[in-house]
Amino acid sequence: MKRLVEIALGIVTGIGGFLEAGSLATAAQAGADFRFDLIWALILGAGCLAFLVEMCGRLSAISKHTVPDAIRERFGFRFFMVPLVIMQLVMFLVMATELGGVGIALQLISGVSYRWWCVPVGLLAWALLWKGTFGLVEKGVSVLGLVTLAFVVGAFHLHPPLAGVLHGAVPRLPSHDGAHYWFLAVSILGASISPYLFFFYSAGAVEDRWDVSQLSINRITAGAGMGFGGIVAIGALVLAAVVLHPAGIKVDSFEQLPLLLTSALGHWGFILFVASLAVACFGAAQEIALTSAYLMAQGFGWRWSENLPPSDDARFSLTYTLMTAVACLPALAGVDVLKLTNISMVVSAASLPVVVMPLLVIMNDRRYLRDYCNGWFANGVVGAIVLLAFVLAVVSFPLMIAGGG
Amino acid sequence: MLLVRDVLDKQMVDRHGNRMNKVDGLVIRWGDGEPPRVVYLEAGALTLARRLGRRLGGWASRLARRWGGEHTESYRIPWNRVRAVSLEVSVDVDAAETRVNVVEDWLRMHVVEHIPGGRK
Repeated sequence: MKRLVEIALGIVTGIGGFLEAGSLATAAQAGADFRFDLIWALILGAGCLAFLVEMCGRLSAISKHTVPDAIRERFGFRFFMVPLVIMQLVMFLVMATELGGVGIALQLISGVSYRWWCVPVGLLAWALLWKGTFGLVEKGVSVLGLVTLAFVVGAFHLHPPLAGVLHGAVPRLPSHDGAHYWFLAVSILGASISPYLFFFYSAGAVEDRWDVSQLSINRITAGAGMGFGGIVAIGALVLAAVVLHPAGIKVDSFEQLPLLLTSALGHWGFILFVASLAVACFGAAQEIALTSAYLMAQGFGWRWSENLPPSDDARFSLTYTLMTAVACLPALAGVDVLKLTNISMVVSAASLPVVVMPLLVIMNDRRYLRDYCNGWFANGVVGAIVLLAFVLAVVSFPLMIAGGG
Repeated sequence: MLLVRDVLDKQMVDRHGNRMNKVDGLVIRWGDGEPPRVVYLEAGALTLARRLGRRLGGWASRLARRWGGEHTESYRIPWNRVRAVSLEVSVDVDAAETRVNVVEDWLRMHVVEHIPGGRK
């Protein structure tokens, strides 16, 4: 029974945690511009994420060390500085996006500009971290995140052509606007395979005191959770393909996106959209703020745990405090949230190699994983993901310039 | 045991199992006619800055001399306090009684406890 609850919780975590500002916006843009043609990118992204997340969980369950711990310990301080600096920058951009996303959701219901919402939202996110525990953040995000299933319900409601959807699951060359197509493909992969998730997940496994007995649950959480999470994003893409594409609507702001659900579910669709956007972005913002602190604390060897009161891990708590404060600034300054989203997804994709490549080495180190090192299959998959990550890193910025508009 | 592979950059844990910094540096002494010997483990931002480059290291030392009060060098733990070296380096000290956490303690007293909810 306890097992079943844990498995259910794992799946709920996947569903509730997958969608955030980046994956929603990129999926909607892809559906609006290329109908079902980019579904394969979401499937590829969710698949890669499932593999990588499973490895991070396994590493932490067996060694009680997290991914940043292992990067610092295995590759030394000088190397560690590279992912540290790059990831803090990426997390700043993505967190600013998420706070902007919550702001937009509140703007949609209140009419008050998102600019004025980011500070109260940031304060609330911070206060919950300051007073709350890891379990509160983890379970809160996942359970409330189930509201995003509205995208799947909405998509079924509009009876999309099944043949078209399945057709889109196979990678293909673009029929038009090649640069924009590949730009969106890269953005979708960047949004799905978010590097901050690996750090968050591996820290979470240590926070929840996983051991060898959790390995099967880890595999199910990673596989089924990310699988179901990917389906939510596919739901958003399908909705955009059915609602926005025929009307010739290009997504150029978040404010257009409620259309996705209002055409399927009416007024309730509007409410569900606002709730989904707010909850998904709020949860992601909290996870990113925490991950920023995990990365610092684990890299430098500080005491850390979201379950300790802030006075017991002052540096850790002040790191997420600072990150939250700084991440409020772009939205407060009135930066366009959709543009910020697209930039952060591309930067996120470009940052993948510095995280994934060390993982390939660590997952084969018997001092960490004892008898649970990667087998040939897992190594083959990570090898392929490393290659993909390098391709993404190289093509992301040129594509943003060529096809970003 | 290989010093760089097995000791440098590993997590240190104190007598009570609390995390106390990574091993940021090693101090090795060369005596006349004696083989080189590891005498200290170092923990501190100054050591890290020196590892990133000579100029950054020099800049950090000047900063430490100017603002660091009596703490102008990184914290050192004698090698004979090392109890075990595995994935972690266990040392026989009590982190709370050392100055390895000066920054942590300063931030707790001067910042965290002044924020609502920051006091235990």
